[in-house]
Amino acid sequence: MFFHIVLERNMQLHPRYFGRNLRDNLVSKLMKDVEGTCSGRHGFVVAVTGIENVGKGLIRDGTGFVTFPVKYQCVVFRPFKGEILEAVVTMVNKMGFFAEAGPVQIFVSNHLIPDDMEFQSGDMPNYTTSDGSVKIQKDSEVRLKIIGTRVDATEIFCIGTIKDDFLGVINDPATI
Amino acid sequence: MLRLSDFEKAKCLMNCEVARLLEHKSEQYKQMSNDSNNHTSQVFEKSLQYVKRFRRFSNQDAVKQLALLGNLCPETLDEAISVIPTLKTKGRLTMDSIEKLVNDLSMIKKFE
Repeated sequence: MFFHIVLERNMQLHPRYFGRNLRDNLVSKLMKDVEGTCSGRHGFVVAVTGIENVGKGLIRDGTGFVTFPVKYQCVVFRPFKGEILEAVVTMVNKMGFFAEAGPVQIFVSNHLIPDDMEFQSGDMPNYTTSDGSVKIQKDSEVRLKIIGTRVDATEIFCIGTIKDDFLGVINDPATI
Repeated sequence: MLRLSDFEKAKCLMNCEVARLLEHKSEQYKQMSNDSNNHTSQVFEKSLQYVKRFRRFSNQDAVKQLALLGNLCPETLDEAISVIPTLKTKGRLTMDSIEKLVNDLSMIKKFE
């Protein structure tokens, strides 16, 4: 799910950036450093939306760098265990399928796909019900439930299920 | 049950709201693109694609109406129409569905 939160970070700035544009330089460095990163606690920082507060700069001993504590608002994406969300299928194989929801990758194992769906290999590997009415293949949109998350250095990886009620392929009303 | 811990005070965002925010940011980046350092990260691009694909409300008016309904929590149909006049004029919702929405909202508030 996406959240709008306030985070704080200590930014170090080289003296060459001091002067009229100090604040602008600080803000662009912040955005460059932080956007696109991921932490276990906050999830992916997608975009910085505003600066709340820049604290007083502290000169580091021995170097000319100055540290500024910056409070900023940002949009983050953080998946939670138990959360239900929609994702796009990116790869299907006999172990299950991979899906993506924004920056997050989710794996749904074949054990957590309803028993009436069978794996079909071929050009477009897919999972299909016995009557052929429901099909999961690359680029299908599915609603799944996150049952576990794992945080890496640079990304969050999730395990999901579509075995519960109201989960599975999303029927686009426009196509009915 | 979702345990949100850190995020208890955080504001949850709907995909359509995020879409609007990210599209605006994308415009800003395009305007600043003289500096070659300013390209958006993969996380940003993937998120933008995702919210554009999965937002239920593309119409900006609908998004604003929804946000207003959530913030103001009108108790009756009449109150809803008087504080959000475009619900009647530009809205695609019928009076019945607005009434149902308003009732559901007050249910949620009562049992919070």
